[in-house]
Amino acid sequence: MQSFFQTLVSGLSFGAVYALVALGFSLVYRTMGLVNFAHGAVLMIGAYVASTFYLSARLPFAVAVPAAMIVTGAVGLVIERVLRPLENKDFDLMLIGTIGAGTVLDAVAILIWSSSGRGVPSPVQTAPFDIGGVRIPAYNVLVIGVTAAAMAVLTLFLQRTRHGAAMQAVAMDHEAATAVGIHVGRSNAISFAIGAALAALAGALVGPMLYVTPTMGDSLGIQGFAAAILGGFGSIPGAIVGGLGIGVIGSFAAQSFQGYSDLVTFVVFTVLVMIRPTGIFGERTVNRA
Amino acid sequence: MRHPGPGAGQTLAVSNLAVRYGGVSAVRSVSFTVAPGQSVGLIGANGAGKTSTLRALMGLVPRAAGEVRFGDRDLARVPARAMVRLGIGYVPEGRHVFPGLSVEKNLLLGAYARRWDGQARASLAEVYELFPVLGQMRGRLAGALSGGQQQMLAIGRALMAKPVLLLLDEPSMGLSPKLVEVIGETLRRLRDDGLSLLLVEQNAMLTFEATTDCLVLENGEVALSGTSAELRGNPRVRSVYLGL
Amino acid sequence: MSRLPALSPPWSLWSPGRARAGGLVVLAVAAWLLPYRLNIYWISVADTAILFALLAVGMGLVMGIAGQVNLAQIAFFGVGAYATAILTTRDGFGFWTAGALAMLAAVIAGLVVGLPALRIQSHYLGIVTLGLAVAFIDWITNAPITGGDSGISGIPTPPLFGIDLASQYLYYYLELIVFAGGLAFGLFIVRTPLGRRMRAMRDDPLAASAVGVEIRMLRMAAFVLASVYGGAAGVLYAGLVHYIAPETFSIADMFLLLAMVIIGGRQSLAGCVIGAIGLTVVQQELINLAAYAQLGYGLVVVAVVVFAPAGLVGIPGRAAAWYRRWRGHTGRAAALEPFRPLPAAPPSPGSAGGALLEVAGLVMRFRGVTAIDDVSLTVREGEILGIVGPNGSGKTTLFNVISGLYRPTAGTVSLGGRVISGAGPHRICQLGVARTFQHLRLFGNLTVADNMLVPLDRTRTWWSWRYIGWPPGVWRHDRELKWRAASLLGCFGLAQFAGLLPGSLPYGIQRRLELARAMASSPRLLLLDEPAAGLNGEERSQLAAIVRSIRDSGVTVVLIEHNMGLVMSLCERVIVLDSGTVIAEGVPAQVARDPAVLEAYLGKSALPAPHATEASP
Repeated sequence: MQSFFQTLVSGLSFGAVYALVALGFSLVYRTMGLVNFAHGAVLMIGAYVASTFYLSARLPFAVAVPAAMIVTGAVGLVIERVLRPLENKDFDLMLIGTIGAGTVLDAVAILIWSSSGRGVPSPVQTAPFDIGGVRIPAYNVLVIGVTAAAMAVLTLFLQRTRHGAAMQAVAMDHEAATAVGIHVGRSNAISFAIGAALAALAGALVGPMLYVTPTMGDSLGIQGFAAAILGGFGSIPGAIVGGLGIGVIGSFAAQSFQGYSDLVTFVVFTVLVMIRPTGIFGERTVNRA
Repeated sequence: MRHPGPGAGQTLAVSNLAVRYGGVSAVRSVSFTVAPGQSVGLIGANGAGKTSTLRALMGLVPRAAGEVRFGDRDLARVPARAMVRLGIGYVPEGRHVFPGLSVEKNLLLGAYARRWDGQARASLAEVYELFPVLGQMRGRLAGALSGGQQQMLAIGRALMAKPVLLLLDEPSMGLSPKLVEVIGETLRRLRDDGLSLLLVEQNAMLTFEATTDCLVLENGEVALSGTSAELRGNPRVRSVYLGL
Repeated sequence: MSRLPALSPPWSLWSPGRARAGGLVVLAVAAWLLPYRLNIYWISVADTAILFALLAVGMGLVMGIAGQVNLAQIAFFGVGAYATAILTTRDGFGFWTAGALAMLAAVIAGLVVGLPALRIQSHYLGIVTLGLAVAFIDWITNAPITGGDSGISGIPTPPLFGIDLASQYLYYYLELIVFAGGLAFGLFIVRTPLGRRMRAMRDDPLAASAVGVEIRMLRMAAFVLASVYGGAAGVLYAGLVHYIAPETFSIADMFLLLAMVIIGGRQSLAGCVIGAIGLTVVQQELINLAAYAQLGYGLVVVAVVVFAPAGLVGIPGRAAAWYRRWRGHTGRAAALEPFRPLPAAPPSPGSAGGALLEVAGLVMRFRGVTAIDDVSLTVREGEILGIVGPNGSGKTTLFNVISGLYRPTAGTVSLGGRVISGAGPHRICQLGVARTFQHLRLFGNLTVADNMLVPLDRTRTWWSWRYIGWPPGVWRHDRELKWRAASLLGCFGLAQFAGLLPGSLPYGIQRRLELARAMASSPRLLLLDEPAAGLNGEERSQLAAIVRSIRDSGVTVVLIEHNMGLVMSLCERVIVLDSGTVIAEGVPAQVARDPAVLEAYLGKSALPAPHATEASP
């Protein structure tokens, strides 16, 4: 029982990171209808920028992370601008275009930071909490807390502010959004930047848990994407549930099947998506003429 | 009741407007004006070019030729999203509410171009007074409303921006006769409040009752025009409609 | 009529086909002679390039031709290589036996990866196939049977009649022959019925299913094809390098392969090959600047996607089109010829006037909105029936239910006494119902002739086993189809447009093409959704003549139309829909006077009212 909870805690910590990644995917998809396969690479850039601010510029972690989010958000703006001609056109081309953008970011990371990775020491030195024999590292608590806070802020932004509502409106109906005076292009750019900033946050948080390398985004991006789809693409609660779900599945798979956690995770994911393509919170979209 | 906002006292003047899709001419040389306080109907059978005319004047489809002016302002280079700031409200065909947002959020988005302050709240109260059913459903998702309620919501949303000229595209489409009457009643009330209207409709009777002047389009051209009262008694309207 | 695309003159010796054949011979000779010019380093590069080209052809078939996002090609490659390695080193099979079994394993992998495509498409399919590739990589990195990180070594050299394939030079020829065979087979597929159906499905799956294409079977077939090419490349790779390890089968390599296909041009197998060979060579040249190479191809992928979606092979065509426009086109313009009446059917005794289609108690709801509310109607054999009604009255929804695009909420549709509601659109088409669409749905990247060939082919997808069993049979079948397409295009006066893309034609001609395409499936019942929309008066009267001739050839016609003039002159019977229910039915003149109809069209109290004065308060 103790090991069960230990596995669960570890799964939830990674799940929180996946949820952040999934949230970025969902936000961009929800507002622009674009599936951003470069999201994992953006996360990796965010992780490097944050670690550079933290380790090289010696900024406090609490400053380095928001700074990295801003820088990475700007990178997101550039990607959005380049791919804008493809919006609402050929879906597959858009998907491939973002894969190309991801390749570029990977190469840029290698050129700037070299292909060997770097370790990031945990910014929290407190001893792990011990609850009934289950050891919970303090940093994991921080990760879960920050993730929850980020979700809350984003939800408030979307629900309570004029710009948040406008972003959702654009996703639902371009033309009606235009008619009420919303600048659709600008709204899309902002949502892309927020998505990138969320990826940067995920990358910065996961840095001390893993190792920062140019390829770290591949796996995290794919897991996050799977989480987004599992929860229901475009849904915020879906991103959270999907992220935690993928994290927990992976954690238990790693425990029960040793190295085969990716194998088990993706086979389970494939089966789940085939059973319910719209995910847990997904809406049924009508794709007909 | 009307606030002298932007665009007050301006006349919408459309001259020789033409629209083409690919090689197909949808609208050829349509001209008309909507003076302050005037309500104009644009009727005709399906495919006559009514919606194309409206969309071209909003800047949602490119104009192949012609000029659109609002007061002394040429609208050629004004993007669709800026129309609302000039005082032109637009209710698109097929309602186009934001289905995943609540009724109230939909309405507040209508005031997007303004701040969400006390004034927006006051407009909200006015819309709820005009359409009490929306007030009862303010927390519901717009996508869950019936067709008629969605149409009211779309009109209410456009009113939130305090337009001086309201463009409506087939507000009666797919509605039951009873609801069509409600919509007609609303339009008459808005007209009496001094709002200028440009109503694109297939339902000729609704249009005759809600407007003062009318144009009948056929194959992208103006086939008939006159006051709504005159046209109501004109048997040619019927033949234009049925393509006879 | 002055902006029609130019045709090349028929008397030219330089027909595109002949030029292409000549080019292929030159390329083949060059490929054969190439090893004489290469040192040992570059011959190994060439060996790698051919394997990538083989993988790319498989990718091209599944992504470019069939339109299925496949990010698991690298796993098919891996399955082929690992199965060969395991069967030879561990189980002691001979190389070729192991290779054959490895191909089988790859095909099974193809079926597994293709399975999700039955339910999901585009980005969903992308993440699932990518996830399955990650799962495969996870397995080979960890399983004892695959040797884990250290991989499998000691894979034997394939024996071949005493030829020493340990030599990279001689192995080149083995690869070249397999590749040439694979490319030829791929091109054969693309140009014959199977590939044509796949391209139609890629351009418009909905329209494809409405002309009888079995979408699900075809998606599976596409994945199996991709896996065959991937597996073959894997087998050859194992025999070439004798040692395999997980790092060869990474996600980065998957994206590299994707970049090859996109940069070269995914919709052309030649483009895929050019992309694969080009990128392999460039990568080798920049081997010490790998990150710059990666940066470069990433940027090129983005640029291609944004500016030249057809890839490198699409550029000459665009340049030529640009040049023609710049010069003001020369050459003869294609012209529309008059419609030649179809052969009239002998009046079939007994059946005429009987019920062909029966719709009973039909209800169609979408998320609470009722589009069709208890509609019952009968279409009689051999009539032209008009369906009219105001916007949003449910006419097109009715067509969508009849043709199987929607499954009705309640009620049945039966054709000749047989219930067809609930069957898929392809099945309903096979049973003899064809349709056109309100907004044209032609296959945009298929020529006019190919648009006709897809519905003309009435074989089932299973028929395609002949591609392996008896290719000449496929070829003969294809020739016969082409002959019939030419004659049908001639009937509709479209013969001169056969080689052009529909998008380049004037709207009226596209409308006529869609009508011809619907007729190509030899229907018993033809559904026309606003066939006169956007047509001018001249074209409208031509349309009326065509529709009458179609009826006289024994086909029952139902048409939705707003132009009442056309309905009056063409239809023998009219049904009026309003708000999803039938409000009137009868001969046109009578229906046009029906007060309910006038009210539906014009609004309440539409009759030129006696109370013409202001009635409202």
